[in-house]
Amino acid sequence: MKPGVRLILLVMLAFPAGPIAGRAQGDRKDERSAWEHSIVTLEVARKQYDYYQPWSKGTRRLQKAGLVAGEREVLTTADEMFERTLVRLQKGGRGRWWIGEVKWIDYHANLALVTTPDADFWSDLKPATLGSAAPAQGAMQVLRWREGNLENRRAEFTQFSVREGQLSPINQAVLEVSSEIQGAGWGEPVVVNSHVAGLVTAQDGRNAYAMPASFIQAVLEARRRGTYHGLGYFHFYWQPAKNPATLALLGLRGEPRGVIVTHVPDRPDERERVLKPKDILLSIDGFDLDIQGDYTDPEFGHLNLESLATRRKWAGEDMKLQVWRDGKLMEASYRLPKFEYTNALVPYAVRDQEPEYLIVGGLVFQPLTDSYLQSWGADWKRSAPFRLYHYNNEEPTKERPALVLLSHVLPDAYNIGYQDQKYLVLHKVNGQSVSRLPELRDALQKPLDGFHVLEFVHGDSLHRMVLAAGDAEREATARVLQQYGIDRAFRFATPAGK
Amino acid sequence: MTNAHVVNWARQIIVRRYQDPRPYLAEVEYVGHDCDLAVLKVEDGRFFQNLEPLEFGELPKVRSTVVTYGYPAGGEEISYTRGVVSRIELETYSYIGNRHFLCAQTDAAINPGNSGGPVIQDDRVVGVAFQGMPGLENTGFFIPPPVIEHFLKDIEDTHYDGIPQAGVRLAQLQNPAYRKLLKLPEDAQGARVDGLLPIPSTEKVLQEEDVILQVGSLAVASDAKVLYQGNRVSAALAFQLAQAGESIPLQVWRDGRRQEVSLPVFPYNGDHAAGYQHGSLPRYFVYGGLVFTPLSLDYLRTQGRGPTDSPAGELYYELYYRRYESPKTARAEPIVLAAVLADAVNANVSVRGQALVDQINGKRIEKLEDVVRAFETNTNAYEVIEFLPNHVIECLDRGDTAKANADILRTYGIGKDRRL
Repeated sequence: MKPGVRLILLVMLAFPAGPIAGRAQGDRKDERSAWEHSIVTLEVARKQYDYYQPWSKGTRRLQKAGLVAGEREVLTTADEMFERTLVRLQKGGRGRWWIGEVKWIDYHANLALVTTPDADFWSDLKPATLGSAAPAQGAMQVLRWREGNLENRRAEFTQFSVREGQLSPINQAVLEVSSEIQGAGWGEPVVVNSHVAGLVTAQDGRNAYAMPASFIQAVLEARRRGTYHGLGYFHFYWQPAKNPATLALLGLRGEPRGVIVTHVPDRPDERERVLKPKDILLSIDGFDLDIQGDYTDPEFGHLNLESLATRRKWAGEDMKLQVWRDGKLMEASYRLPKFEYTNALVPYAVRDQEPEYLIVGGLVFQPLTDSYLQSWGADWKRSAPFRLYHYNNEEPTKERPALVLLSHVLPDAYNIGYQDQKYLVLHKVNGQSVSRLPELRDALQKPLDGFHVLEFVHGDSLHRMVLAAGDAEREATARVLQQYGIDRAFRFATPAGK
Repeated sequence: MTNAHVVNWARQIIVRRYQDPRPYLAEVEYVGHDCDLAVLKVEDGRFFQNLEPLEFGELPKVRSTVVTYGYPAGGEEISYTRGVVSRIELETYSYIGNRHFLCAQTDAAINPGNSGGPVIQDDRVVGVAFQGMPGLENTGFFIPPPVIEHFLKDIEDTHYDGIPQAGVRLAQLQNPAYRKLLKLPEDAQGARVDGLLPIPSTEKVLQEEDVILQVGSLAVASDAKVLYQGNRVSAALAFQLAQAGESIPLQVWRDGRRQEVSLPVFPYNGDHAAGYQHGSLPRYFVYGGLVFTPLSLDYLRTQGRGPTDSPAGELYYELYYRRYESPKTARAEPIVLAAVLADAVNANVSVRGQALVDQINGKRIEKLEDVVRAFETNTNAYEVIEFLPNHVIECLDRGDTAKANADILRTYGIGKDRRL
């Protein structure tokens, strides 16, 4: 573009900017008062478990933002809504609290709808409008009630990206904004003009990460239609196809494009695996993939292909794939598997379920979950025992769908000699493979000649343990429960644990 | 005598006599990298004029007083520090990193510069100062006489073999139920074999669930310890007192009765990559700018990352766990792509290092020689390298790569494409 042409364009743009800016002053006041009727405060009280001593629990209480989003519906994120004991709602940032009920919640999508039957609460509230498309640029604000006032912090658009969800490892499109707001990440709405562009789910310094409104709208709409069955995801691994030699090896002619499928694990729903290693994935649902693994999203621009699994498609729905395989172009239909925490060998989280455990003569057995590993604190990925954390990199199999570990030993005369043992993953008990606590309980019903023989995964730690079965075991368990002040010897999550 | 770590990789060694201004050149005559000891040779006969060799004493008693001699933090004058022997047990010898030998702890200050200096008691040498422990004050460690004497006896045949490893992992046997299952008497004797390293000479003689009652002249207690010169120490010591190739008489409880067996023991090299490797340069092969090297602790240390930093976690697992947990899938010498020396021929390779190699040109890579063979015997148009754990593949044009090799080596000043 010539310099003169650029100058003219700038002048043309500058003229209308004045009046608009002038109007904005007044509008902001109106907008602010409008938002006061659409943003509410939620207070959540919940149980907080100590996974190191899974029989004990504390409580936690926190406040987060809610958005009036429909007929008697407050929309918020699902974060910290698990293990809840009480949800309360407040409007106007002060005064009376109303008891809330969670109408619907989806932890993987990190969304919840809360209501209250009390008509008073809804009297002067009105639903906010979720933006149909997230803004690419423009003045945005992050809002929340704080000490009786509606806090309004300016936010600047940074980028759209793809990140793991706050409550699941599913990659989703994210609206990133820069803002001076502090301590955000609890469902604060990001607003632009008169609509909501997203809900803040996390913050790191000045960077706030928001779930785009279009994703929220799509989930809520599918829910209303009854077609939402949870989030799906791509259950395969791929690599960028930046190396032309690799594409040539795989026989793809023409411009470099697509990504290379490297590994396709067994699906959790046991359906046939559609893709094979060394397939070149060229497009998903009509979106062409470039050699970095990006597609052009009509709303967000260039995004990583992983976000396509949550772009208006849900678990159980089919996506059309275009694949280059063995020198030929082929079309395939890929059914999105439903994401469940238990799809992984080490479940990503345990929600709304008290921690499972089984105590046998002072030996404390627990399922290995990330919730357990998080008891090592905020830096748990580094501070938890390396071997236990590394199980996150292994896939579940039919023979080993989950792991049970001897987490520690409550010392008693019965278990003398083993009192220092901990973090040992069970392999077999009395000759039977053990992957879950009910299996352990069943195996303990069948001692070998009056003994329990416990075998742990071969490693650099103890491999085998033998304990007395029968009366000695039962008496020791009772004694340990009494001495350590524990109510019951086990807690199982499944009906099998009745 | 000094520590191996004092003279490791030395290009010139100078020894000095007390109050003698002349420097004397020395060279390493024997070195034990496992036990961190070395013997130096001084050719100039004047060095030894009027010098009297010190004699070695017994293992000092805990709570007895010792004096360490050395040059902490450099300095020109010798320094003496007095302390007591705080405890004696098996400790990790940090110079090699994955060996535990008898070690004496003292509260006499041992600092950098003390290494290799004698620890004296009653005018006799009762140790060689060698390591400290960061974070612990007034704590130093010295190599005690049994380890020194083992080293000196080992080199009597002019070759150092090393301290034998039986490859037996012993577990305490203190739970009455386990003892009852094994029909063992209710005394405090015997430790259970909980695991064996893949050492054929050991696997022939011992098996898991054997109970070791006695090793040589030392009775093994149920806490998997032996009483050695008044100190309760790990029973592993009892296997380390023998010289390489010697057989140790063992009393073993098996099938409900006491049996006598003889266990030949040898130094074990199967886990050398898991410890620091000294005295030999790292193996590598460079092809098309891709640098392949065996996975080792030395390699991981150069990366400066912890085990939980991805992708280092996969490498830590491969180095420290796989051979125990799934020996059938373990490789003799896992190979990593350590680095990519940038060149037009590899410009499109996305994997830039810290990646475990699975296959090259369809051949499973068990050791570095397999890498060389896989490239040198390939006749296809492309070189195909597959990495673990997610089977990422990278390709190079074979013709272009072959042409580029010499230039890459020249550009990066690498004399040879391999050190095998």
